[in-house]
Amino acid sequence: MSRLLLALRLRKVFPDVLRSITAGLVLAFAGSRANVARTILSCAGIVVGIGALITVVTAGDLGERYAKAYSESVAGRAATFQVDLMAELEDLEAFEADLQRAGGTVVSLSTWISGPVVRSGGTPVPDVAFAAVDASLSDIRRLEIVQGRWFTEEDQESLVPVLVVNEELAGLLGDVTDVEIGTRRWLSARVVGVVETSAFESYPQLYLLRSPASEELMSSLSSSEEPLMLSYSVLVPPTDADPDSFLYRLASASWRWGAPTENIDEFVSVWRSDDSEAVDEMLGYLSMGLLGVASITLLTGLLGVLNVGLVTVRERRRELATYRALGASSLTLFVAVVTEAVVVSVVAGAIALTLCLAGAWVVDVLASPYLPSDVSVFVPPEAALVGLASAAFVGLLAGIIPAWRALRASVVAGLRE
Amino acid sequence: MEALFAPEEQEAPTGPLLRVHDLRRSFTVSGTRIDVLKGCSLEVARGEVVAVVGQSGSGKSTLLNIIGLLDSADSGEHVFDGVDVTRLREGQRARLRNERIGFVFQQFHLLERRSALANVSVPLVLAGVPLVRRRAIARELLESVGLGDRLSSQPHQLSGGEQQRVALARALSLNPALILADEPTGALDKASSTMIMDQLLDHARSRNTAVIVVTHDPEVAARADRTVTMSEGRILPAEEE
Ligand SMILES: Nc1ncnc2c1ncn2[C@@H]1O[C@H](COP(=O)(O)OP(=O)(O)OP(=O)(O)O)[C@@H](O)[C@H]1O
Ligand SMILES: [Mg+2]
Repeated sequence: MSRLLLALRLRKVFPDVLRSITAGLVLAFAGSRANVARTILSCAGIVVGIGALITVVTAGDLGERYAKAYSESVAGRAATFQVDLMAELEDLEAFEADLQRAGGTVVSLSTWISGPVVRSGGTPVPDVAFAAVDASLSDIRRLEIVQGRWFTEEDQESLVPVLVVNEELAGLLGDVTDVEIGTRRWLSARVVGVVETSAFESYPQLYLLRSPASEELMSSLSSSEEPLMLSYSVLVPPTDADPDSFLYRLASASWRWGAPTENIDEFVSVWRSDDSEAVDEMLGYLSMGLLGVASITLLTGLLGVLNVGLVTVRERRRELATYRALGASSLTLFVAVVTEAVVVSVVAGAIALTLCLAGAWVVDVLASPYLPSDVSVFVPPEAALVGLASAAFVGLLAGIIPAWRALRASVVAGLRE
Repeated sequence: MEALFAPEEQEAPTGPLLRVHDLRRSFTVSGTRIDVLKGCSLEVARGEVVAVVGQSGSGKSTLLNIIGLLDSADSGEHVFDGVDVTRLREGQRARLRNERIGFVFQQFHLLERRSALANVSVPLVLAGVPLVRRRAIARELLESVGLGDRLSSQPHQLSGGEQQRVALARALSLNPALILADEPTGALDKASSTMIMDQLLDHARSRNTAVIVVTHDPEVAARADRTVTMSEGRILPAEEE
């Protein structure tokens, strides 16, 4: 029974509410069209505030992507261990297999070697960094191929050493089809690809694939005066990235490798080489700082809009009193004032977004030579979303207070203004 | 002209359209209480045109504001169209004001920077009349007050008399039962005054609309069915006039 009454009541009340809201919307749009000056005035403050907010979020996003690109190209993806082996083992293959069994999802040799020299057309290139690697390194570290390809399994069969050089070295070599590499004698070598010179390390660099054909170059390592040291990059799940427990698991199989001593700590060291933890921490501080800046920006914007809102309500007292005299309900008036503020804010937000999109495009064009090729400047969707949502929120807040004040005022007094 | 818009075509309740009895209203200005209405009573029949005259400060506008539901009395009876309006909520008062009462103010109170058509449309917007229909109604009303060629003119482009005609069209737009006019000709010259009063009374008489007009102009008062005099917050009894 009471539910029936409620339903009847709702059927009577609902059209009234709908009518009030519709009327409020109509008045709001008529109002903002009629008062262009007022509209533009409130717009300007929001455009600046929301523009700053979008810029801040965009900058944060760019910083994050830049830091990630840096970290991944220099030190590997999350999480990468560097495993250093400082002794000659009888069974190196068993050791490498155990790196996987201990938790490595991808394992690659990644050792700097000194000794070989590279030349093209008879002129050696000085100061080249040589890294002896496996093909799997590309799964661990970010390597941008700009020409040719990275190593494949088939390259193992090659009769000559197979190389990938960075752009810097390719430039110094000139002709990469006639490359020789050697320690005691020159061997001709095949360059299969060129990787982008990292924006972070711009010296000539050469990757030498570990294969039967490159054994002669590699063996120069063991015959040198210094004690042998091989380094491996090992990708492990980020959730299980504790070097000590990895080493502990590895130790249980150490008897298989024919090591000179029982104590694994004496000849194997494991440490985390990717910076993602440090980068995450840094980004944490960065985003906190940006959040602070954004909140202050938004607050300033809000105060500005609020001020304009209050000023215009004061100016509008007569107008609003006239509406009320003609029969506008509180709801209608409330909807009208709030909607006007929200619409103005969102339009201003959209203008700010457009300006930011254009700005990002210009910055991208200007900054692209200084950024890694896969890091470009753009306004991320979340920045656009945050901007527009904040605009709507600011408009709402800036509309509600003046609307409430307008409703409290007496109609008679308003008409007398 | 036939009725353009009749929100509720129900059987009108019998009895007077308006009855106020023993209304009291006081204002407190910086701690001092000023009694403005001191037991004011008035009845207005349907379709009746009543002129209210009286000295400045006697409370005419205060009474009219209460009758128009823009203000509330501190005490007293107030029945409009069979409804005890002292018991209504704000929303219901707003609706009654919108649909049943039309205002014509001395200062016109048109919305700036909006066309005559838009101004006349406001009560129709508030009543939820669809766009096309309210355009048609507003246009017809403006034509009937002789402003058919000024539909898109804004208030600042119109003379005082023309503005008051727009305000009159606005007051008539929902075919109210009562029109309240507080010195409608107070800001107008003689010719405009006559024109406004002609149009107001023509419309009122053809639609059986009651009118309460506050005025200082004896010529305006003379055209009413009845004139009441207000003095020190009371309507004087008929024999004392
Ligand atoms: N909001 C208010 N606050 C204080 N005093 C008020 C208020 N409204 C009206 N009054 C006072 O009430 C008295 C009557 O005012 P009202 O406007 O009703 O007079 P009136 O008869 O319309 O005069 P006039 O012919 O000059 O328009 C005046 O003394 C006025 O100062
Ligand atoms: Mg007055």
